[in-house]
Amino acid sequence: MDPPGPREGAALPLRATLRAVTARSEAPASFQSSGVRPGPLELIARGIREVLSRRRLIVYMVRADLKKKGADTLLGNVWWVVDPLLQMLIYSVLVTVVFDRNIDDYGLFVFSAILPWKWFEATVKDGVTSVTNQERLIKQIYFPKLVLPVSAVSAGVVNFTFGLIPLVGLTLVLYPDRMSAWLLLIPVVAAVQFLFSLAVAITIAAINVFYRDIGNLSRHLLRFWFYLSPALYSADLIINSDFAKEHPWVPAVYNLNPWVHLLSSYRNVAYFGAPPDWAGLAAVALASLVLLAGAILLFKRVEPTFAKVL
Amino acid sequence: MSDAAPRTPASGPAIVADNLGVRYSLKLTRKQTVRDSLIRRVRREGDTDFWALRNVTFSVANGESVGIIGPNGAGKSTLLQVLAGILTPTEGSVTVSGHISSLLTLGVGFDQDLSGTENIRLAGAFMGMPHRDVEARLESIIEYAELGQFIDAPIKTYSSGMRARLGFAIATSVDPDILLLDEVLATGDAAFREKSKQRVLELVRAAKAIMLVTHDMQWVTEYCNRAILIERGRIEVMGKPEDVVRVHRERMAERKAQAQELGVLQPTARP
Repeated sequence: MDPPGPREGAALPLRATLRAVTARSEAPASFQSSGVRPGPLELIARGIREVLSRRRLIVYMVRADLKKKGADTLLGNVWWVVDPLLQMLIYSVLVTVVFDRNIDDYGLFVFSAILPWKWFEATVKDGVTSVTNQERLIKQIYFPKLVLPVSAVSAGVVNFTFGLIPLVGLTLVLYPDRMSAWLLLIPVVAAVQFLFSLAVAITIAAINVFYRDIGNLSRHLLRFWFYLSPALYSADLIINSDFAKEHPWVPAVYNLNPWVHLLSSYRNVAYFGAPPDWAGLAAVALASLVLLAGAILLFKRVEPTFAKVL
Repeated sequence: MSDAAPRTPASGPAIVADNLGVRYSLKLTRKQTVRDSLIRRVRREGDTDFWALRNVTFSVANGESVGIIGPNGAGKSTLLQVLAGILTPTEGSVTVSGHISSLLTLGVGFDQDLSGTENIRLAGAFMGMPHRDVEARLESIIEYAELGQFIDAPIKTYSSGMRARLGFAIATSVDPDILLLDEVLATGDAAFREKSKQRVLELVRAAKAIMLVTHDMQWVTEYCNRAILIERGRIEVMGKPEDVVRVHRERMAERKAQAQELGVLQPTARP
């Protein structure tokens, strides 16, 4: 396994020298650093600039992440396709056989929700540790730490895109009459999810530096969130339930969950062959932008202490 | 961006540290949980601040090579971290004019599962090197690090010497205006040590400012034109390397004698 390196201590020729080239770094050439903190808007603007100027780094990190995730398994990246299909199978058996619920074409019904949710799950899982995992690097060189959660979310995009293959395949083979042109709007829904995931990942990445409980907590919260969201069932089930009729606040509160609108939109385009829940989607997009600004602000505020705390 | 582009002529000092102070809040120690934090709040644990650096003022001119010496835990590495922009000063300010490369510890940022080449690209991107520049010097970095065919194997299969060589090659490939070195001269085998010394000297000669933390007093007196002695986060002595090194040696001897008197350090091991 361990290849023998060039023998240590052996006389090595000294002819190799580094070519003298002038490197112009993308990092600022000169800087002044002091205890004075800039205002909130300036911090947010700075955060956005940093991420945009380090796109290359994000691409490399995503690539490295994907390579590692596929590298140590036998089937490699095939798992990205097989994984959601297996989950679909499990939930189909659970709901249609065990709970004896009858929803038409339940396989596609649940698959259209599992796929985006798995992306979100991965985002949270990788986002939590995105900063803390780079502890050593953060103490060694200066770089904008925002790229870490951003690349964690971006890596999920690739997985999600691969997941669209079985979605389309499934529809073509098993449910051809559910195919519609609305399916082409999936990227629009995914873009809104991306914004929301970004806000979540940036927030939890920052908090996890100070409180490592976030990792444990998020696992359970995610599970709870999944069952509260209309993934295995449709949102109407809650809104038209007897409980909701007795308690008029239920639908209003239920609709506060962004995943209600995201999943309904995914399901509309992939299952019902209908337009996405435009109003809900717009509301989620707007709320995500506000949350994202807040998340960047929080992150930038605490960023200077990362190297000390980690 | 071309090689022929003249460097902006040195005007003014490369580094100015003005009344620099870095405070560590021990409340924010590593891996704390909400529980610890609540307990601490309930117990009203008092002042837990610690100044790693305080009232540090100095400036480094272009072309200078400054050695930072001092006992362990004096704040030397913290100082380099502030200069590299990794830490933000709690009070005072630091102004750095020019591109910086920090070689604080070698190769720690390597991704164990990626190959040498991939790590060079990743490290270059982390350091903010433009893509073109990274690609342009990929070959010479690999050659300089003497990795040969191992460059495509995952880093986890490398020996520590190979890792250190690669780290050194990457970090010094930037050709920075200001180079920050933290105990990196003891890298790899004797031959590579000699080579890395040559490379550092090359960089020193290129009229760029260098600050290095080292316990190698010979290096300080030979290659630095100034030295700073730091103790307990304060600058104790600053000036000619020979003088500063002498003071440092005297104090070390003093401390050792004191420790022996107190019985902390036994002069001879007892059976």
